[in-house]
Amino acid sequence: MTVFASWNPTQPEITDLIVQHDAWTLERVKVRKLDVLDTFSRYSNGQAMRAVKQLPEREGFLDEKEIDRHLLKVHWEMQRLAEEFYHGHRVWELLRVVIASIRHAGVRQTIRIVDVGCGIGYVTRWLAANVPLRDYSIELVGMDLNGTLINEANRLAGAEQLPCRFVQGDAFSKEHSGHIFTSTGVIHHFRGQGLPQFLGRHEQPETQAFLHFDFQPWLLAPVGAWFFHFLRMRTAVARHDGVLSAARAHGARTLSETARNALPEFASGIYGAKIWNTPAPRVFHTLIGLRRPLVEEFRRQLGRRRSRLGELR
Amino acid sequence: MTLLALYLLALLDGLLCGLRSSMGRSAVIRKTGYYRRAAFQGVAGAQVISTLALMVLLVVAASSSHRDAVRADLEGAASRMLWVFVPYAVLVLANLALRLVPSNDIRSATSVFMLGPLTAIRPLVMIAGVFYGMFSSRLLETRVLGMFVLLLMLSLEFALNRRADRRQEREIRALL
Repeated sequence: MTVFASWNPTQPEITDLIVQHDAWTLERVKVRKLDVLDTFSRYSNGQAMRAVKQLPEREGFLDEKEIDRHLLKVHWEMQRLAEEFYHGHRVWELLRVVIASIRHAGVRQTIRIVDVGCGIGYVTRWLAANVPLRDYSIELVGMDLNGTLINEANRLAGAEQLPCRFVQGDAFSKEHSGHIFTSTGVIHHFRGQGLPQFLGRHEQPETQAFLHFDFQPWLLAPVGAWFFHFLRMRTAVARHDGVLSAARAHGARTLSETARNALPEFASGIYGAKIWNTPAPRVFHTLIGLRRPLVEEFRRQLGRRRSRLGELR
Repeated sequence: MTLLALYLLALLDGLLCGLRSSMGRSAVIRKTGYYRRAAFQGVAGAQVISTLALMVLLVVAASSSHRDAVRADLEGAASRMLWVFVPYAVLVLANLALRLVPSNDIRSATSVFMLGPLTAIRPLVMIAGVFYGMFSSRLLETRVLGMFVLLLMLSLEFALNRRADRRQEREIRALL
């Protein structure tokens, strides 16, 4: 019973609740531990409650420093999953085709790629470490609302002298807007009206494309995610949220239809849903959107991977 | 020869335990040096265990009143253990070799469908191997030694994990 309560997709993830920021100032807001416990108690989610109870508190509020340390531990663990799934390779495989299509359309200036909700910036740092950015004339920026994760991303990039930067703030603001928006495991956090609002914000003058990677929901996804997180993750928070993420993931139809309605100037669809044209689903699928004049060249550039592209309209 | 094979398998197991305990505990992109150190620590841990097991084996053999019988019984038990450990090791190595195929899907699939589950059953394989080895042994010395080796093998990953966890805690505390 407890296990299934923790898979209820209508509830938030633990990390959504234990760190909160003021929407305008981005200042950290104190979080009362009892409020977090109450939230999960409403869902009878014993697993989440046990994980939250372990988190250190001070006078009833979650200890910010300890929470930040815990969050770093969780994000380091999450990077391991991205590494095991060769996520950097997967992102670049698609991104390079999108970049080629944009270049073919005549865009000559540096293409800015913004990683929305980048966390500690694994994808951006992977690209910075493995792609000759100058040859492609691209700039990599990771953005997140969480200052601790942004500081860590910058520290890690600095430690390896990687040509990318990370900024705390709104990825869709005028000063940070990009030619390509990308994200990983972020889009399922936008629910209800939040999803069309999030997608609608991609409509910016210079934006040419977006690629949002997220879990692909199917019958066995939560079971598979549970088993994999049980084996690979060490913190209770990561084990809980990883599985809930798979349960909360949006289906292909929801994503593509919402994108089409919110962004009529873009052709939107799903990429990489099935493995080698078999019925077997990939763990992640990608919501892709392109300015309509780019579509034909994009299909051509995909080459033999064209069969991975669903309906793009 | 049998003991040498068990020793090499123990080193391989130590190497993989070292790698596993280090995974998810460093967030840099280029980790070759980090993983090399982790693998070395795992092998060093397995070497300590193997040396300890060998010393106990020698003491048991030396202090026994029926030395030849003990030796034959131990060799028989060790040979039987290989029937469990070798196929497991071959499966693990085959899946690691599959990761050389330049396909993200195949590489990921080895993690999800094989290496993950194989990691999960490692303690069971250890127990099964040692018990199968001891199953038809006639002497108490062989059984006690088998249990001792099993305990050492199971404690290796635990010890490496604990060490890596402490190091990670220190690193994060230094950051924040």
